[in-house]
Amino acid sequence: MKREYVTFVRRLSDLSEGKRALFIKDLTPGPRKYDTKLVRAELSRDAARLPDGDTLWIRSETGRLQPQPWSMKVLEELPPYVPGQPWQDVFTSLRHLG
Amino acid sequence: MAFSDLREFITMLEKSGDLVRIKKEVDWDMEVGAISRRVFEQAGPALLFEKIKDYPPGYAILNGPVATWRRVALALGLPPNSSVRQIYAAYEERRDKKIKPVVVKAAPCQENVMTGSEVDIYRLPAPMVHDGDGGRYVGTWDIVITKDPETGWINWGMYRFMTHTQNLLTGWPQATSQLAMMMKSRYLPLNRPMPIAIVAGCESLCHMVATDPFKPGENEVEYAGGLRGAPVDLVQCKTQDLMVPAHAEIVMEGEVLPDKIAHEGPFGEYPGYRSGTMSEGVLVQLTAITHRTNPILTLSTLGVPPDDSSIAASLTAAIAMKRGLQRRGVPVREVYVPPEGVTHLIVVSVERGGSRVARQVLDFFTARRVMVSKVIVVDKDLDPFDMNQVIHAFATKCHPAKGITVEHYEGRANALTPCFSADERRRLKGASVVFDATWPEDWEEESIPVKSSFETTYRDAVKEKVLANWESYGLGGKS
Ligand SMILES: Cc1cc2nc3c(=O)[nH]c(=O)nc-3n(C[C@H](O)[C@H](O)[C@H](O)COP(=O)(O)O)c2cc1C
Repeated sequence: MKREYVTFVRRLSDLSEGKRALFIKDLTPGPRKYDTKLVRAELSRDAARLPDGDTLWIRSETGRLQPQPWSMKVLEELPPYVPGQPWQDVFTSLRHLG
Repeated sequence: MAFSDLREFITMLEKSGDLVRIKKEVDWDMEVGAISRRVFEQAGPALLFEKIKDYPPGYAILNGPVATWRRVALALGLPPNSSVRQIYAAYEERRDKKIKPVVVKAAPCQENVMTGSEVDIYRLPAPMVHDGDGGRYVGTWDIVITKDPETGWINWGMYRFMTHTQNLLTGWPQATSQLAMMMKSRYLPLNRPMPIAIVAGCESLCHMVATDPFKPGENEVEYAGGLRGAPVDLVQCKTQDLMVPAHAEIVMEGEVLPDKIAHEGPFGEYPGYRSGTMSEGVLVQLTAITHRTNPILTLSTLGVPPDDSSIAASLTAAIAMKRGLQRRGVPVREVYVPPEGVTHLIVVSVERGGSRVARQVLDFFTARRVMVSKVIVVDKDLDPFDMNQVIHAFATKCHPAKGITVEHYEGRANALTPCFSADERRRLKGASVVFDATWPEDWEEESIPVKSSFETTYRDAVKEKVLANWESYGLGGKS
């Protein structure tokens, strides 16, 4: 069964296909819905390119939902945080993770 | 009379018709938020959701404890129909009083304790408040407690906190907040975690004090005691060197990490928009969660006014602003923060106006962190609590060229101000403006336009006659 997740980006155009680290929130219903994971994953706009992938919804910095979800295959789960000091930009740190 | 806890306050609200218990099961995922938002927008009652999907019977959420003037009046022990001016006066009168807290050994907030691997935030019904928020906000109407290890100063603030994982929260005390100041000056230089307690479900005056920007070094708990007219009972946390209100419903104990960060936000915020502040906050490692049996999570489903922020927190902001202006020597009479202006628009009434005073007012509002973007300064000939009169003065007395002064700044703007661009918000770059709706100080008396109102244009003898005869003109009862 495909699972559904959501991720947030500063701008919808920031997200690129391929392999990258990102925070994802699990949309499986129940008391643990929205639990967050940091993963390295492969992303594609085209579900056919990742046949065993999960569904990834994308929201912008203002929480606007991109109408079409992407497909995501989780390659590795990482500890759920990135290095950085409080008030630093999480996305800059994420980019350094690759 | 002080309420000893949130439950006593709830009982009182129910008696006065200011609270509705919702017994039908509701979903914490958006349904609680949607109901709460609609009720706020109708200036409706506080809502106690008593049956939350996925959670044990008895676990409850309370939305909007002080989101109407009636409920603020009741929290202060005033008659519920007190005028806004009376409520302001009562808060102002009590705000300077301090009563030291009392430390107790056993506390209701520790009836149930989770520590170590048992810590699981998902055992509390943290709501997904608005569709599109970055996560479930467990801290909306909270009290966030931190301590300066060198001076012993204990800060209470109200800041948003979101569930991240079972034992991690992310939050967004603004980079200009006192929590940020403490973390940056005392803990980050040593790369040390900062103990933190995030408290939900106290009686309302404790929460209101947390929204009041008392100066650094002031212990808000003593002011909460002063406002209540009775000390706040405190208890030692289970896993952190911090004291928390003993009668709180829920306490989340943990540490703000100095070297790790994670996704936070966005959140539909008090200016009435989700303006996009995201992932520039703090990460908290939870070390314990303690709560009363059948805990009640306090919630404020923020958004367009009115809500607890635009009503109760506008009041605490107004009195703090009045004090600050007085300290700067501004001849201030009253400050009104209209709920519709969501602490972005402030009305300052002065004893005598003019451009110099307007400049002083602007300097006050832009000196430190800047939460306010528009200030209207008015003369004493009008009631600053009456926005009809304020708009009339603004429309007629504020000179479109000479009456407007703008101050630009960077590094201390309000990151939530919707009219600032995304780039400005990130750089905390912004501007504030003062609208001087007072007569210039150098105008001769004889050239000042005369206001054409009943009160100002007729001699006393005529007014008295008209008032005495009002009924006989066939115009109804006393004027
Ligand atoms: C409902 C509500 C939510 C708030 N959330 C935040 C927040 O997330 N971050 C923040 O910096 N201030 C927030 N504030 C404003 C602070 O509570 C206020 O600035 C207070 O003075 C902070 O304490 P401090 O002066 O000790 O920093 C909120 C206020 C209210 C009424």
